[in-house]
Amino acid sequence: MTKRPTGPASSNRKVLARHTTTLALATALTTATALGAYAQDISFWTQPQGDLLAYQDLFDELTSEFRDESGINVSVEVINWSVAFNTWLTVAQGGAAPDCADMYWLHSFSGIGAGRFGPMPITEYRDRWPTLEADFYEGALEDVHRNGEFYGIPWRVDIRPMMYRTDFLAEAGIDAPPDNWKEIVEQGLALTERDANGNVTRWGFAPGANNNPGQTLMPYYWQAGGLMMSEDGRTATIDNEAMRTTLKFMQDLVQVHKITSPEVFEKSADPLADFTSGSVAIIGSTNNSWPSQFDRDYAELEGTWALEINPAGPTGERDSFSGAGYWGVLYGSSDVEACLDWIEFLSQPEHMERISEVSGAASPRRSVMSSALWTQRPWQEVMAETLNYGHTSQHPSAVWNAIASPEPGAVLYDLVYNTVIGGADIDAAVTEAQARMQAELDRASGN
Amino acid sequence: MTRQKYLFCYLMVAPAMLITAALGIYPMLFSLWMSFVEYDLLRINEFGTPFVGLDNYVEVFSDPRFVQTLFNTIIFTILAVAATLGFGLLLSQVLNINYRGRTALRMLVCVPWFVPPAVASAIWMWLLNTDRSPINFLLQDFGLITSNVRWLTDSATWGPFSIPMMSIVAVRVWNGLPFAVIFLLAALQSIPRSLYEAAEVDGASLMQKFWYVTLPMLRPVLAILITLLVIGGLGSFEINYIMTGGGPQNLTNIMAVYSYQQAFSFFRFDLASASSGVIFLMTGFISIFYLRSQLKGVA
Repeated sequence: MTKRPTGPASSNRKVLARHTTTLALATALTTATALGAYAQDISFWTQPQGDLLAYQDLFDELTSEFRDESGINVSVEVINWSVAFNTWLTVAQGGAAPDCADMYWLHSFSGIGAGRFGPMPITEYRDRWPTLEADFYEGALEDVHRNGEFYGIPWRVDIRPMMYRTDFLAEAGIDAPPDNWKEIVEQGLALTERDANGNVTRWGFAPGANNNPGQTLMPYYWQAGGLMMSEDGRTATIDNEAMRTTLKFMQDLVQVHKITSPEVFEKSADPLADFTSGSVAIIGSTNNSWPSQFDRDYAELEGTWALEINPAGPTGERDSFSGAGYWGVLYGSSDVEACLDWIEFLSQPEHMERISEVSGAASPRRSVMSSALWTQRPWQEVMAETLNYGHTSQHPSAVWNAIASPEPGAVLYDLVYNTVIGGADIDAAVTEAQARMQAELDRASGN
Repeated sequence: MTRQKYLFCYLMVAPAMLITAALGIYPMLFSLWMSFVEYDLLRINEFGTPFVGLDNYVEVFSDPRFVQTLFNTIIFTILAVAATLGFGLLLSQVLNINYRGRTALRMLVCVPWFVPPAVASAIWMWLLNTDRSPINFLLQDFGLITSNVRWLTDSATWGPFSIPMMSIVAVRVWNGLPFAVIFLLAALQSIPRSLYEAAEVDGASLMQKFWYVTLPMLRPVLAILITLLVIGGLGSFEINYIMTGGGPQNLTNIMAVYSYQQAFSFFRFDLASASSGVIFLMTGFISIFYLRSQLKGVA
């Protein structure tokens, strides 16, 4: 049995060993910290589309592939849509922000951020996408430009073709859905049904698929040849014949022909339930997520519905409501280059196709919409074709989203609701709306 | 010893006071400050927040929508408080009597309280949907109506009343009734039986017992309950916002919804704060009366 050494020498060795261990640990920690500092980490926020878990899984895969390829670690946070608006409003005012993100409403959030917070222009890096115009739909690209600056890559597009019940049209002996406004009225009359007491059991036509009067108005107004404001976003241009024609058309649907429910703009209206239950035959401007939702959740309705390009207005235009979400960089980003690498990675055709497949959202990239993914079902082809008629729903003023807000008191809400539902005089309402909208534009442009 | 005792007490209440100050008082004061400056999100980066005095209050009171909203809020609160108290008094009396199944009934009465207002709104939106309302189907089956009642969308009015406003009030009462019932039931159980026995000896009828014994004994609790219900009614938000968004034609819009719209739809936090300031003034006024009466009671 060996006796352990004791005494001063042994004690010194212990002290030395302890110091050596401490030094080694400190060195290891310092090295790890230094390496950590060199590792590129960026944060990315996104709003979910389609199935949440599938969307999260996809981003897990994409970030992993990107890390292997570039060594950059992307931390993805999924922002629920219910809090998305308030989150981005806070970001635009200087609140906590990620390095880069999936964003929307460029004009408003950029206007509020005023070049200090929120979306950051990346015009100097635009060469990373040399064939942008050829690769993407024009309407979607408008949503990533502001005051001549480039802000990012559009990745999803909210395009709204017409949706109709094929079974009801067949019952009524109608061969094809309406091709113009006149046919909307004719078919709407043929498709509207009432019970013995005069209660409507099926409305022939609903102009839109949500209860937002401003959004509902837009495609019809464009189809009549109107524009909301001047290109610089400083002058309201709604006091014109196109607006009067549009409002008269919509007013007559409700008040004269009675083929549109007077409740379409109320919060309690439920267009999806109306369409699936057969309470509405045609929706003029549908929700872009519905078709994939119908494929997934309403298998029993297979063969009873279809999409078509929006009917032509009096000027022959078929403009469709369009709005794009985009990937962009934010002011205060810790690593702009890494963010651009990530966005460039995401915007590759094969990745955009995977994202479109999982999210179910139409892609603003032409190659995705012409791929096998988007040509399997007839409605997908219509959706892709409608993108050619896409008219951006965003306008070059920071106050646009207040003007088009779905709340009473907003300029377009009051204009449409008071005339179409309330039956107010169109001339007077348009004149008043023009003045109010101009005042709002002046407010945003600092006058 | 007394100083140490006070110090201990202050230390004990300090966390609660700090939280109240940070999450309650500071935001309230900040909101009040915003109501006296220009706080427009679209202009703030360029123009800052200049002091504008009472301009924001003048602007909201010049808006006919706000005036209608203010009026709606008062009507909504009066109707909701009156109905909650009326049904609350009736139900609490019923639940205070001894009979088989009383416990089950008490639980049933409490059920709406477990439903958050947002969920209650979604349920009632379906129940009151013009075309799919089971209530309409039932009324038609009984031959009481021939055309569907537009519970949430009928814009016809009778003075300050409309069907959507009454529907919203009904949902508010349904959701808030258990709170009043529990409050009143607890108060009823604390009334000594001897008082009722004495009244019976004097030959008092059922109504007389309620009027001369129950109501006076409930007075302190009723005062608290009315104050809380009125404050809750004036600041009410979820049900109106979710079910109607203030529509149709602003008939069900109330001040909290108006404030929300100004801030988050129109980016005017200054006008939203001025509108909230009016709610604050109204609730503050009621609270002062309540506190004064309570202090008198103590004295």
